Amino acid sequence: MPVNGSYALKLDGRERELMRQILGDMRALLMLEPGDLRVRRLYPSAYADDAEKEDEYRMLTHEELRSSRLANVDAVEASIDAKVLNEEQLTAWMQAINSLRLVLGTLLDINDDDQELRFDPDDPEARTQALYGYLGGLLDEIVDAQLEVL
Amino acid sequence: MSAAPAEVKLPESDEDQAADRPWIVIVWNDPINLMSYVVLVFQKLFGYNRAKATELMLDVHHKGRAVVSSGTREKAELDVFRLHEHGLWATMRQD
Repeated sequence: MPVNGSYALKLDGRERELMRQILGDMRALLMLEPGDLRVRRLYPSAYADDAEKEDEYRMLTHEELRSSRLANVDAVEASIDAKVLNEEQLTAWMQAINSLRLVLGTLLDINDDDQELRFDPDDPEARTQALYGYLGGLLDEIVDAQLEVL
Repeated sequence: MSAAPAEVKLPESDEDQAADRPWIVIVWNDPINLMSYVVLVFQKLFGYNRAKATELMLDVHHKGRAVVSSGTREKAELDVFRLHEHGLWATMRQD
């Protein structure tokens, strides 16, 4: 519940530790080439029918897209133990979580809007599924908090 | 949150000058982004009110896509970039 532009970050120690690990994963993902299929959702195309304009766009924007995501990861790392976040920090958390969720969703091949996540602990993708679900819940809370003040 | 992106300097071609049609920005449906997140992004980036942002999001969700803005090629490309920064899939084409 936002109060005067500040947001209480109610994560327990284990969740914060999980976020720390996630930040490491994010940094590794951001080192991948934009052509790497795993991160294709982080570098979408802009021109569907014009290869030349598309190449131009990619040249202009790839580095900026990469570095703005790194900046979000840095911001989350800097506030990982915070009890309260300001608007800017909350946005960084939201973007970092959303970016990772995009990559995880790609890895899980999420392709149906209303797909129920059937969690099977024996599935080799179980950890990824659990993380994807957890991040979705966290993202939902952050988005709701921001929508409240818009 | 990133600072404003670098200025996009686009080369002027005869093609662009001849065809002065506006460019439109299309957001495409994807199975990963939360609907509430999409509404938030539309409000944040374009200043739409909740009702309009929700209407656009539902168009994306049910019809597969929606036009969210239009203008010069430069403006459209900036809008596309900001949408990409927010993890949405957007493309642009001339109207």
